[in-house]
Amino acid sequence: MRSKVLIVDDMELNREMLAAILEKDYPILEADSGKKAIAMIQKHQAEIAVVLLDLIMPNVDGFAVLEVMKNQSWLKDIPVLVITAESKAEVESKCFEMGVSDFIKKPFDNAIVRNRVRNIVDLFGYKNQLEEKVEKQTETLKKQYKLLVMQAEKLKESKTKIIDILGTVVECRNLESGEHIKRVKGFTRILAQQMMKDYPEYGLNQETIEVIVSASALHDIGKIAIPDSILLKPARLTKDEYEYMKSHTTRGCEVLDNVEDVWDETYSKISYEICRHHHERYDGKGYPDGLAGEKIPISAQLVGLADAYDALVSERVYKSAYSPDEAFYMIVSGECGVFSPKLLECFRRTKKEFEELNRAQQRKQQNG
Amino acid sequence: MTLRECYEKLGGDFEGTLGRLSSEKLVQRFVLKFLADDSFTLLEESMAVGNYSEAFRAAHTLKGVGLNLGFTKLYVVSDEMTEALRAGEKPENEELLEKVREEYHKTIDVIQELQNS
Repeated sequence: MRSKVLIVDDMELNREMLAAILEKDYPILEADSGKKAIAMIQKHQAEIAVVLLDLIMPNVDGFAVLEVMKNQSWLKDIPVLVITAESKAEVESKCFEMGVSDFIKKPFDNAIVRNRVRNIVDLFGYKNQLEEKVEKQTETLKKQYKLLVMQAEKLKESKTKIIDILGTVVECRNLESGEHIKRVKGFTRILAQQMMKDYPEYGLNQETIEVIVSASALHDIGKIAIPDSILLKPARLTKDEYEYMKSHTTRGCEVLDNVEDVWDETYSKISYEICRHHHERYDGKGYPDGLAGEKIPISAQLVGLADAYDALVSERVYKSAYSPDEAFYMIVSGECGVFSPKLLECFRRTKKEFEELNRAQQRKQQNG
Repeated sequence: MTLRECYEKLGGDFEGTLGRLSSEKLVQRFVLKFLADDSFTLLEESMAVGNYSEAFRAAHTLKGVGLNLGFTKLYVVSDEMTEALRAGEKPENEELLEKVREEYHKTIDVIQELQNS
C-alpha cells in the first residue's frame, strides 16, 4: 500500500512547512532538487502516495520532473500536487496539461493542503486498488479461457480419434489395415487445399477442409452392414451382389442418422454428403442417386477421387496394385468414372504430392 | 516582543498567516527558521556576477516565503524583482535590488529582535 508523501523543494523552510502539515498522517520523504526527486521516485515507486512538487528549482526544475514522470508512466499511479508562488495562469494550465492532479498557489492554507493531499491520496489509492483487482481478474479470466481452449482442442482431438476408430473398424472387417483411412484423408487434404487456392467459388476454407478431411474417415462406414459373403467374396460379384454392395452408401447414412446429436451441424452434413455421394460421378453415372455435375457436394467429389486413386494404388483381395503413374492416367482418362474438370485440374497440379504421400505411407508400412 | 508585535513592526499580515498555518507555535518556528535561509545572499551574489536566471529563482523563493509567512512588504518587493528577472536578463530598474535588500534586512532585524526577547 502506498503511504509516503514526497516533498520536492530546493528551499528547506518550504519543505519543513509542508512536512509540518502532513507528518502526522504520512511518512515524509524529502528531495531538495529535481534530480534527487527523480532518483527517489524511482527507488520508492511502490510506496509513494503523492508528490508535492515545487516548480522553480535550479537545473532540473519541476517541469522536468513532470516530464520524466510522464515518460516513465509514473504519473499513472502517483499523483502530483504542484505548490508554487507562481501566479501566472498559463503556468497553472501548463501543469494540468502535463498531468498534474492539483495546483496550490502560495500563500497556502494548512487545512486546505491537508485536505487536498488526503483527497488525492484516497482517490489514487482507490483507483490503483481497483486497477489491481481488474488486472487480477483479467489474469484469472485469461487463464480460464486458455484452459477452455485447451479442452476444446482436446475434445476435437478425441472426436477425430473416435471417428478414425470407427473408420478403421470398417477397414478391419474388410480385411484391410487402417492405412486406407489415413491415405484417403491425406489425398483428400491435398486435393482440398489445391481446390481452395485455385477455385474459390467452392467456398472452401481451412475450417471446412479440416471437417471434410476428418469426416472422410467415415466414407465406407456403411460397409459394416454388408454381409461377409459379399464383402469378402474373393471372386467377381453377381449383379445382385453388386447392387447390394452399392447400398453401403445409403446404409452408411443410416448409421450416421443414429448418431445425429453427437456432432454439430456442419460435421453431420458433411459426413452425410461423403457417405452417401462418394461414388457419384460427374456425368451422373455414379450411385446411389445418379447426381451429376456440381449437384454432387464438393466434399463427396474430393473424397470420391481420393478413394478411387487409393483403390488403384493399393493391393486388394481381387487385384494387385497399379503404379502411381498408371493410377494417375486411369483417373484422368475416366476409367474410374468421370470427375469434374476442375477437380481433375487440381489432381494434375498435385500429382507430385500424391506420389510423395504414397511413398511415405509405403515406407511407414514397411518399417511398421 | 511577541510574535504579533514582530509582525506589526515589519508590516506583515499576522492574522492571515495565523489563520492559514493554524498555530502560533508553528508560525513562530517558521519565522525564526527564515533567519537561516540564504535565498537573499544567493540573490545578491547572482546579481553581482550577472547570473540572472539564478537570481530569478532566488527572488522567486523569497517571494514564496514572503507570501507564505505573510511578510507582505518583503513579498511585494521580491515579486517586483521576480518579474523584472523573469526574462533572464539584467533588470532595467537598478534600484529594485536595493529595495529588496532594505526590506530583507528590516525583516531579519525584527526577527532577530524576536529571537532575543
